[in-house]
Amino acid sequence: MEQNSQKTRSPKNADSYRRQRIRNITQNFFLHIHAPRVHPHSMKLTTTFGLGVILVFLFLIMILTGVLLMLHYTPSVADAYNSVKDIVHVVPGGRIIRNIHRLASHAMVIVVFLHLLRTFYTGAYLGGRQLNWVFGVVMFVLVLLMSFSGYLLPWDQLSYWAVTIGSNIAASARELTDLLGITSFIDAGGFFQQLLIGDEKVGQTALTRFFMLHVVFLPLALIVLSALHFWRIRKDGGLSRPVAKELKEQEKWYAWPVLMWTELGIFIAVVALLLFLSFFIEAPLLEAANPSHPENPAKSPWYFLGIQELVSYSAFMGGLVVPVLFMWFLFSIPYKDREDQYIGQWFSGSVGLRLTVRSAVFAIVVVLLQLLVLVKYGGIRDWFPGISQWFVMLLNPATFTVVVFIVYAMIVRSRTGSTRMSAIALFTAAIVALIIFTVIGIWFRVENWEFGLI
Amino acid sequence: MKRRLFVRKLAITLSSIAGAIIGIVFFRQFSHKRAGSVKQVRLGELSDFPVDTYTFIEEHNIFVYRDHESVKAVSAVCTHLGCTVQRTTDGFECPCHGSYYANDGSVISGPAPTDLVWYKMSRLPDGRLMVDLDAVTGPDDKLIFT
Repeated sequence: MEQNSQKTRSPKNADSYRRQRIRNITQNFFLHIHAPRVHPHSMKLTTTFGLGVILVFLFLIMILTGVLLMLHYTPSVADAYNSVKDIVHVVPGGRIIRNIHRLASHAMVIVVFLHLLRTFYTGAYLGGRQLNWVFGVVMFVLVLLMSFSGYLLPWDQLSYWAVTIGSNIAASARELTDLLGITSFIDAGGFFQQLLIGDEKVGQTALTRFFMLHVVFLPLALIVLSALHFWRIRKDGGLSRPVAKELKEQEKWYAWPVLMWTELGIFIAVVALLLFLSFFIEAPLLEAANPSHPENPAKSPWYFLGIQELVSYSAFMGGLVVPVLFMWFLFSIPYKDREDQYIGQWFSGSVGLRLTVRSAVFAIVVVLLQLLVLVKYGGIRDWFPGISQWFVMLLNPATFTVVVFIVYAMIVRSRTGSTRMSAIALFTAAIVALIIFTVIGIWFRVENWEFGLI
Repeated sequence: MKRRLFVRKLAITLSSIAGAIIGIVFFRQFSHKRAGSVKQVRLGELSDFPVDTYTFIEEHNIFVYRDHESVKAVSAVCTHLGCTVQRTTDGFECPCHGSYYANDGSVISGPAPTDLVWYKMSRLPDGRLMVDLDAVTGPDDKLIFT
């Protein structure tokens, strides 16, 4: 490697050369985010696939294009749609900037998801890195909220109905309070909905709130958490790596120039790809929002369609219980699983890889079987018309899947005696189920939310 | 030491209570009823509504049904995820997730957790109909006219 070329220099020269490289990092406000030296393992493509760095660059692009869009956008029900139309058709270059903004936001959702998978499967939350995993999960949610809050702003049919669905998912606790007959005393669902959109239906208050969330509150929160995220990486001694690969400080590579050039390369690739795609993939703009004529089928943004699929079984279970359980599981992973010997190893070795594949197949079978029953024979209300809502709420694919997966993870736990293995089993099953439900919601739900191929 | 512990516990308790109160007050700010959101809405003359028909009032998202002796009003907001239901030959259908309701608003199939909401109707002295979107009632509560 290039590092070894210093051996040929005279000792004095080599020393000043080394100092200069370190100074390049430590004396620069922006670059001292990195340590002066970086472990060779961190630089391997298969360690991170550069996902975190890509996210940072995507976020920078989002801010840049977002500020440009904001110059032309008016956040009012009367003018929002026309101002976006102007951006697309009148403002020079506006169409491309809007396309890039939308593409980058979808890319962020995908990449942050992949980043979560990478972090989990390499066991990067181990070895004292719990807190950074928690920051990461919070940022995952923030990225989804960023994207969701931006969805409403164009105020067209697509955004209006997507956010109407989304805000009613927030009110899904009502299914339970209605069943208990206490909605008029404690309306938790209504409270969440009021908090989000400030009214019973999406209107000017919702637009104002979403605009504020989108351009001020959420970006600020994301910036602060990013700073904490990077700071923790430094504090935790760089990216995670297998214990066997520890090196002395002198044996590591210089961040300047090795890491710097790599990051610059990734940045250029990201920008180039977005520019290229933005010429071909248009951000949709339907007709202006019309509150009395829903889109059929009305769908929330694609990354929430997994939840919407569950909500179509039961609002309370799909919209509240399952997401809360899933988030609770994500947060608790690094505190339940402390088997540090697996750190920095993809799938924790061949045993974990086999378990991952087996869990994925298991989840596919469990979910697809239920969907098959649902497609062929319908849900429980089709079998027993007039059945109590309690049964509809408790007996559906959403609850059944959760129960089966938890039992499965407990069996893996008792068989292997390993928390890491049971975490892999449950995480894999949950993620695979989430992907299947999302795919069903995106491509296999047609008019009237019936099954079919779009 | 004991006194210090007591003071600390007292401080934590008091500041939690203060925090809770401030939190509730703060969040209430975001869920108030807004001025101008009038819930008693005027609909028009009885003759504006054809007999034996569910007439959709777009402005307020309700259907008004008139038969030979009475009128009643039902919400067009699906109880599942808030889409606007559409009239079919024998009930209502939500285009978003396929909930079906009977003519009396009760759920027949689909994910809707509860029946459609009926609102109390009244007649103003000038003969126009009024519906109170705050007063929830049942499908049997009709405004009978003579």
